[in-house]
Amino acid sequence: MPAQDIPVPQDPADALAAVAALRHLADRLEDAAVEQAMRAGWGWPDVAEALGVTRQAVHKKHAKRLIAAGVTLRRRR
Amino acid sequence: MSAIDHYINAIMEEGAAEAREDGSAATEAHHLLLALAAHEGTAAYRVLTTAGFGRQAIREALDREFEHSLDAVGVNLTAFDLPKPSPAPEPPKMGASARLALERGFAASTGKKDLRPAHLLLGVLGAEIGAVPRALALAGVNRVDLMARTRQTLAGETW
Repeated sequence: MPAQDIPVPQDPADALAAVAALRHLADRLEDAAVEQAMRAGWGWPDVAEALGVTRQAVHKKHAKRLIAAGVTLRRRR
Repeated sequence: MSAIDHYINAIMEEGAAEAREDGSAATEAHHLLLALAAHEGTAAYRVLTTAGFGRQAIREALDREFEHSLDAVGVNLTAFDLPKPSPAPEPPKMGASARLALERGFAASTGKKDLRPAHLLLGVLGAEIGAVPRALALAGVNRVDLMARTRQTLAGETW
């Protein structure tokens, strides 16, 4: 959707609620997408590059959760 | 520990479980509301269920509020069908809205000996901004009326 087509709520309460909901949706999407990628055999550097963050950041945020879920993580190359 | 301490611990644990269930990194006020509505045997539970706003109705209202908020900026939740991620192993942190709700609940009582589940419900319902009042409004539930009914129970019910 082009930026000019994104509706901007007129009520500040609606606009702020949209920000909170988008953040929550982005967090859920990130958790699901990182897990999907790691289950498909991606490595931390590739996931980090795709998200535009450092490898350390993505590892710190997701490693414990994925290990607890039994995902086999690729060793560093 | 007193009965209210046990109750608060249970609500915090159940709220954290609700937060994990919906993939939140923090327990927020709406997670506490779900926990209050799921914990039977209290005036808070009776007020919510009598108003037709039991745990399931609250969950549905919160889901509607989430979809409604995204829809306001042109995002359709049905467009996202990624698999549900595995939950984090560690418990979620306490979020700002949950902290405020608890503070309001404590402030609504005259002290620790007076503190009861209905006070905590008043604390959660007291927010005028955020997911809880928006979900209530979308579900057609009058928040102020619900608070008044909650206060009425404090005069006549011990728990």
